[in-house]
Amino acid sequence: MAKQIYDVIVIGTGAGGGMAIKTLCEAGLKVCALNAGRRLDPGKDFRFHRMPWDMKFRGLGDPKGESFGYMDNEYTKAAWDHEIPFTVAPGTKWFWPRCSAVGGKTNFWGRSSARFGDIDFKAASLDGYDVDWPLTYADIDPFYTRVEKMIGVASTVQNRPSNPDGTYLPPFNFRCLDYILEAGCKKVGVPYLPDRCAQLTQPHEGHPACHYCGECTTGCDVGAFFSSPYFLLPQAEATKSLELRTNALAKNVLVDENGQAAGVAYIDRNTKQEVEVYGRAVVVAAGCVESSRIMLNSKSRHWPNGIANSSGQLGRNLCDHLYGESARGYLPQLLGQSSFPDHVADSTIAWMPRWQNLNHAHEEDFIRGYSVYPDGGCSEFPWFAHDLDGFGTLFKREIKRRYPTPVTFGIQAPTLRSDKNYMDLDPEVKDPYGIPVARMHFEWDENTLKMWEHSKQVCAEVLKAAGGELEGSGDGPEIPGWSLHETGTCRMGNDPKNFVTNRFGQAHEVPNLYVCDASVFLNCTDKTTTISILAFTLRTSERMIESFRRGDHKAA
Amino acid sequence: MAGQGIHRREILRILGSVAAAATFPGFSKWGFACGHVGKSALQIKPAEYHPQFFSPSEYAMIERLSEIIIPSDATPGSKEAGVAEFIDFMIANDPEQQYPFRTGLVWLNGHSERLHGKRFLELTSGQQLSVLEPLGFKGKARPGEEPGRKFFALIREYAVTGFYTSEIGFRELDNPALKFYSESPECPHKGDPEHQHLPPPKS
Repeated sequence: MAKQIYDVIVIGTGAGGGMAIKTLCEAGLKVCALNAGRRLDPGKDFRFHRMPWDMKFRGLGDPKGESFGYMDNEYTKAAWDHEIPFTVAPGTKWFWPRCSAVGGKTNFWGRSSARFGDIDFKAASLDGYDVDWPLTYADIDPFYTRVEKMIGVASTVQNRPSNPDGTYLPPFNFRCLDYILEAGCKKVGVPYLPDRCAQLTQPHEGHPACHYCGECTTGCDVGAFFSSPYFLLPQAEATKSLELRTNALAKNVLVDENGQAAGVAYIDRNTKQEVEVYGRAVVVAAGCVESSRIMLNSKSRHWPNGIANSSGQLGRNLCDHLYGESARGYLPQLLGQSSFPDHVADSTIAWMPRWQNLNHAHEEDFIRGYSVYPDGGCSEFPWFAHDLDGFGTLFKREIKRRYPTPVTFGIQAPTLRSDKNYMDLDPEVKDPYGIPVARMHFEWDENTLKMWEHSKQVCAEVLKAAGGELEGSGDGPEIPGWSLHETGTCRMGNDPKNFVTNRFGQAHEVPNLYVCDASVFLNCTDKTTTISILAFTLRTSERMIESFRRGDHKAA
Repeated sequence: MAGQGIHRREILRILGSVAAAATFPGFSKWGFACGHVGKSALQIKPAEYHPQFFSPSEYAMIERLSEIIIPSDATPGSKEAGVAEFIDFMIANDPEQQYPFRTGLVWLNGHSERLHGKRFLELTSGQQLSVLEPLGFKGKARPGEEPGRKFFALIREYAVTGFYTSEIGFRELDNPALKFYSESPECPHKGDPEHQHLPPPKS
């Protein structure tokens, strides 16, 4: 029997993989998608409105079990991958929850969806650090517009120099704390605006409106925010052009006698057997770091250092968002007021989009800029209670009085590209299937730490100007990796000597190999990554379809 | 206020689906505290709770301490919410916390004997409070009682967690989490954006 050859093998089904799969299938290409985990069942794997007392450990998880953080908890634990390890180089700390279920982290993501702009793409020209992106905002603008129409983003037109506007659903209404903090921001001279949130404030493209239960990051049972399994994969499956193989852990890209991509070898996690699938082109969309791990593990006669890696840049240039609590406190105006459903978006209603270095690249003692996500009010659990003094009736009464009042400011600050920050393969440690694991090398750079210090000062000023009481800030930034916004390791650029992929995310040296995730980004900017992964992938996928039409990608 | 909260159980009934509630069999008060008392088709009978980790005398101290930390006063407290059961269950499952809890209780008994010649539970309520106040209030701290302060902070953290993750704790705060709204809830005081002139809180 002749071996089956698909048009495209896609590794991964998250934002990048999902968009590639949908776009390619709708163009009539035969796609085999490999996903390292299983399909999720929202009724079992999502929180599904279960209350703490519905859970054995009140949602806190088994104290004996390991946990990787706020989204990977008792409600959703089974959806996260705890089997594939990674290692860290001496001195590196890296916190890294991974979801290898179908749809990946789009099942649980934070939904903030700001476009990158020329201030990001041309940052190097503005401040002299690193290099510009190999494309301009005009190249990607139409793809953002199409993605916004596809997924639905709630926001407003804001005319901010750092934030190109798009096409938006009605924004979230402001809560009491938003009006109070907005007034404080006005006094200090920093912006306070509705965030760009991919959460449906009205029915959109066949998807229902949000019901504001506030448990988004433990999975939406009705699909009222963008995720690959609700918004992309059903359309792809409807074309009958998709074969989705689950529990298929990609090991390496296979090559033909010319060193071009011929398919993918994967481990069937059920049988533990290695399986090969063949295609005319391969899309690697396993998520930044994981994609590079697969490519570094794709060693052959042609590619002794990993496929398409003559530049040696594969795995290098890892960037991440510094996260941390820049300020916390409370709003005395709201003491003792009735409780209010503040916690309806589970992360983002408002933001303080980048306001630094806008008129000139060197206004501050750091380059580039950061954004801040303020939040607070009545949350599911009164965390502030642990910091109050005393016990008894007065303590209990004070918890109730303070319940509507807490506020926090969370910074999102980009690291700069650095030779010190990269991933490689651990020379010794292998995963349970014998595949070398990723080893992380990472430290915060001085520029990013200056942003952290700056944000603490400004957020404290805002809180005080709003009439709030400042109680402190995080002891330091969160551990690297926490944001889940890692970028780089497979950057795009015009020069094959310095970049793995070209401006379309296509490997310079292996034109039928495409990378569709945040690993092609030059850095992480002050914005989140998902909407840009979607827009860049849509562009890459259409480029790939053109290549098929021209006959560039043939069977091996 | 925009939107009317609908209780999630009603929604689940409408949707015809049932959330899988934890069915850990050992609890009595969890069932009592968390069911819809008098309405539930499956009325769970309060049964005597058998501690999984603490000895009976230790468990009596856990009960008393949690009830002092979050008392039953104008509203239900730790007793009604079964906080002692929560603490026992969590500690039974958390080997790292077993030693601090056990030694903390031993310290408290020894300290009570040093101060009043009796074990903690044998003290009058007034004496118990006089032992605990220097441990629980920063302004009343006394030198030499660091182990007690540390233990009290630990059990207070568990009591707070146990209480405010119970249905009774949610009711105490009128906790709006996980309810359903037809539109994104909006501040009802837009004429006063800085919220300097809100009506005084209900006492």
